[in-house]
Amino acid sequence: MSKFEIGDRVTVRNLPALFHTRTQGYTRGHTGVVVGLRPKWVIPEDEAWGRYEGRREPFYMVRFNQRELWPDYGGAVIDTLETEFSERWLESAAAENTAGKTP
Amino acid sequence: MNTSHQHTDAHTPIEGRDEAIEFEILETAVRELSIAKGLFSAEDHRRFMEWYDNIGPTGGARVVARAWVDPQFKQRLLADGVAACKELGIDWMAPTGHGTPSDFTWLVACENTPKLHNVIVCTLCSCYPRPLLGHSPAWYERPNYRRRVVRWPRQVLAEFGLIIPPDVEIRVHDSNQKTRYIVLPMRPSDTEGWSEEKLATIVTRDTMIGVAVPRIDWTTTSTPSGQARAE
Amino acid sequence: MSSTLYAALLQSIRAHAPQERHEADLPLTISQRRAEAMLHVVHDLGGQPDGPLDKSLHKTALWEKRTHCTAECLAWRGVWVSEERRRRENDLGETLYFGTPYYARWLLAAAKMLIDKGHITPDELIAKMEEVRAREEDAA
Repeated sequence: MSKFEIGDRVTVRNLPALFHTRTQGYTRGHTGVVVGLRPKWVIPEDEAWGRYEGRREPFYMVRFNQRELWPDYGGAVIDTLETEFSERWLESAAAENTAGKTP
Repeated sequence: MNTSHQHTDAHTPIEGRDEAIEFEILETAVRELSIAKGLFSAEDHRRFMEWYDNIGPTGGARVVARAWVDPQFKQRLLADGVAACKELGIDWMAPTGHGTPSDFTWLVACENTPKLHNVIVCTLCSCYPRPLLGHSPAWYERPNYRRRVVRWPRQVLAEFGLIIPPDVEIRVHDSNQKTRYIVLPMRPSDTEGWSEEKLATIVTRDTMIGVAVPRIDWTTTSTPSGQARAE
Repeated sequence: MSSTLYAALLQSIRAHAPQERHEADLPLTISQRRAEAMLHVVHDLGGQPDGPLDKSLHKTALWEKRTHCTAECLAWRGVWVSEERRRRENDLGETLYFGTPYYARWLLAAAKMLIDKGHITPDELIAKMEEVRAREEDAA
């Protein structure tokens, strides 16, 4: 079972990256909406380091408003960006808010 | 040093040529050693080279043109891109039987509408829908496009000569995992009665990346003035 | 060049030099800010400022096409996977990552991987390169 459903608001965990990542720095700590579900795949953190039969997780397509990603975004307010995350990188945006953490 | 040629400070460049030969030598060495060690066969490499030569944006253009003339096909394309490509003989499983190692087999077609314009990038490397579009243009692989299009998409598109009105949403697709994307551009309004084959001629590579939109006077073989000539 | 001209030249260079210089000369300590900048994951470029696009097209050279196919064949036959290749491209470091043609990264990553995993030895690779070089020179 997938942890998130289409329409869920999710925040990308704001963890530091070292050596290699598939979670772009510009997405970490930012909140978007799940707009697509992907099949389970081996997470890149395992594939990148030679664990080809590593941990498998669902992936999610998340849509961000560009103003959420870039405070100085100069384009239209309706502009968006979509990119994907494995489950471990996402947490419910609501849960994050109650924990009092700010991105 | 006792080798067949004399080492000086640097290897002598080939007459009249300034480009490094070092990568050619390393490539040949890596390939020949890999084959000699049985890591893959010469036939594997030949098959991949053949595949490489056979892919190109005409595949993507055929898919887009079919989607323009056949609404049912368009729905199938949006629902399952890989299966829809197969209907037109474009096989995402080639050449290995389970796809290429770098391109995988999950395709999402992003449909442009009067209120939405899609554009594709891969900020972390240069993921690209090779089975449909062939090999990416150099600017797609280079850092500048990867750096800027996610944050300044309107400016980058403007540098390609494409001005998107402010009431049209720009949606950037940063291809960072296994999914590959293709833009399904809008059919120009003045193409009524065109055959599928004729429509395919105006679906250029750049219109399927999203840095251009199809125009009836820009075909895959014409070179509009001011536009870079295809390789 | 006269010494006065030389002094004037030095002064002019100093006027154009950046306020803060980072010499890659094994510094004894570096600031936290600098450490974070240097440890930034090389390929994570999204949102960095840059100048106008260079839309030059490039005719793929034979070695580039062959490199693509070699890297893919190595993955096809289970020697590595593409995500590992990308990580190994980062491992080359910023100078090689940004300073060489696109497929040079693939190639250098593949060569180091073959050595790392024990498929070939460094001396085998060097000997093979010298053999190829001699062959090319004979052909030229």
